[in-house]
Amino acid sequence: MKKFLSVVRREYIQRVRTKMFIVSTVLLPAVMSLFGLVPAIILSIETPPMRVAVVDQTGRMYSQIRQSLFSDLPEPEAQNSNTPRTTPRRGFSRFIMEEVTAGNQSLDQVRTNLDQRLQSRQLDAYVILPPDFLSHGKAEFVNRNPGDLFSPRALQSAINRATREQRLIDANVDTKTRQELFKPVELQAATAGTGGQERETGNRFALVFGIGFVMYLAILMYGQIVLGAVIEEKETRIAEILFSSVRPFALMMGKLVGVSLVALTQLAIWSLAFSGFALYGAGVLASQGMPANIPSIPLSHYIYFGLFFLLGYFIYATIYALVGSMVTTAQEGGQLAMPIILILVVSFYLFWPVSRSPDSPFSFWVSMIPFTAPVAMLVRIVTQTPPFWQIALSLLIGFSSVLLIMWVAARIYRVGMLMYGKRASIPEAIRWARQA
Amino acid sequence: MSEEMAASETTVKLDRVSKSFGEFTAVRELSLDVRAGRVFGLLGPNGAGKTTTIRMIVNITAPDSGAILLFGRQIDQHVQDRIGYLPEERGLYRRMRVADQLRFFAEIKNLRGKQVESKIDEWLARVKLSDWKNKRSMELSKGMQQKIQFITAVIHDPDLLILDEPFSGLDPVNVELLKEIVLDLKRAGKTIIFSTHQMEVAEKICDDICLLNRSQKVFEGSLRDIKRSFGRNAVAVRCEGGDGVLDDPALVSKVVRHADEAQALLASGADAQTLLKRLIDSGAVIDKFEMMEPSLNDIFITKVTEPA
Repeated sequence: MKKFLSVVRREYIQRVRTKMFIVSTVLLPAVMSLFGLVPAIILSIETPPMRVAVVDQTGRMYSQIRQSLFSDLPEPEAQNSNTPRTTPRRGFSRFIMEEVTAGNQSLDQVRTNLDQRLQSRQLDAYVILPPDFLSHGKAEFVNRNPGDLFSPRALQSAINRATREQRLIDANVDTKTRQELFKPVELQAATAGTGGQERETGNRFALVFGIGFVMYLAILMYGQIVLGAVIEEKETRIAEILFSSVRPFALMMGKLVGVSLVALTQLAIWSLAFSGFALYGAGVLASQGMPANIPSIPLSHYIYFGLFFLLGYFIYATIYALVGSMVTTAQEGGQLAMPIILILVVSFYLFWPVSRSPDSPFSFWVSMIPFTAPVAMLVRIVTQTPPFWQIALSLLIGFSSVLLIMWVAARIYRVGMLMYGKRASIPEAIRWARQA
Repeated sequence: MSEEMAASETTVKLDRVSKSFGEFTAVRELSLDVRAGRVFGLLGPNGAGKTTTIRMIVNITAPDSGAILLFGRQIDQHVQDRIGYLPEERGLYRRMRVADQLRFFAEIKNLRGKQVESKIDEWLARVKLSDWKNKRSMELSKGMQQKIQFITAVIHDPDLLILDEPFSGLDPVNVELLKEIVLDLKRAGKTIIFSTHQMEVAEKICDDICLLNRSQKVFEGSLRDIKRSFGRNAVAVRCEGGDGVLDDPALVSKVVRHADEAQALLASGADAQTLLKRLIDSGAVIDKFEMMEPSLNDIFITKVTEPA
């Protein structure tokens, strides 16, 4: 046991000390915050407001458009508590409105005047609402800068709202009725059997997906390192010295645990950094009147998330260790391990069938198979939490498989080590595991 | 020296040990006694089964049949910690600093705490590498790395030290340095198993030898006994003229000529007196005519080339 801990400590300290580790640990949050901040900074750059002239031949629309454009009312169809508002955000579309009355001039003269003002850059765009605008709904829009995609859209929806309002006024609908008519609907996500209590299943799915994704990332990044660690003693020819002192199983487990602690250290630092950003971001959003929803989840689920994340990570990391025990160079090993990682990708697709019928026999079995259990079982837990014995059984099968795979890997390693420079074929590996 | 060792004169005992890899038999029915406090040479040509024998002694592979006793008992974790092993295939962690590396190797032999630090300093000083304590091993020359590897085998003060080709690739100064250390360890009562195919080195430091050839023991015993059993049948000759005499197969079975001297192995039935007489008769001017013990090298070659 003490020797096992020595192996763990060596793996951990040697790796955490490397420049590579320190740089990547610091760099990722830095780069991510850069990616987060730069667009925000760019978008917040103040652009001059768009100067729009309106020729209102109906005589009733201009004030409605003004009101619609400058009131901060959200668009009715976007009124849903879970989706962000789509009102023109500050920085995108600000307008300076101006009403141009035709007076004695003909429409062509007005148009010529406006065109001149466009060319001399006194004006950015103009809209001509013909007298029959309210019935036909067709207006003429001329924009000096056709590349601007946002402002015309904001203008259009403002005119849209104004027209709707005006049509209702024309139809003698009173103010109160108008407000009633536009009252938005809301879909409330609720789970059966919880007495109508609101539960944000969508957010939970996102969380399961997020955990699966972090697991996938951790395996992609650290699987190769586990592989390298197992091969290290073969390449440096230290294995024989070690095996005269440490049992192969203790050595293999020590390596797996040591590297995994490095991975967890890095992930912990990153998640601290990210939750820092997230809290800061939520604070910023809240200060702008957009409170972020933090999903309310029972504590036991957080524990399950942690356990199944660990299971997912370890079950795939052991595959890299197993491959490492058979090959002599890291490149060879990487190719050999890749198909197995595809199973992890496939297990993401199980998301849909399992979430649709979480208590079907299919869902039960995939949540027991170690390679698919981490994603499948988490989906079941957040949709229709299965009985505790199933969760415990899934964890038991999973972690026993980790130990079993490591035990096999240690045996293959021990025999393979005695034959330097030779890569084991699968039948050979099986024979080695038996005979060692 | 521990009580167990005092109780049994034999540090390592192999009793009819065999080991095969598939069709190939690496070691066949091998019995050995390595006596406590002596240097035991495990000699033989490449592929004779030396390394497999050692791997069975240090518990890396298990024998197919037969028994192995260390310090009078079956090998276990505790006994394993009393062994120091320098395999022929050896290396260091390339990016690890020398001191960290030695500390790790001490730890996996259950040597911990403050004494490790003093041991590291002591041994680095002894092999004259104190200045390299905090360097990464990839910065060291091959010879320096070999000395560090040697320390990994002895840092935990083992009662049994097993060295497989310890001097290969070292310059003569460092060979001398390590040889002195090995002899010091022997004087301190340690048992040393020394495997090599370099007979000149073995001849200088081994008390007992065992010669393996084609998976089997050819002979075993003290170096002195072996040489005696071969008799004084070699002659060192320095003379001018008389070359034809040394080439007479009736008198000389084999002749090795050096710069100014020839070593002649007498043919069976011939004796040195006859050879000397023939040389004088042929008119050779003799500077030196000396009866010699056969070198271990000669014995080795004779035994290994004998038809099985």
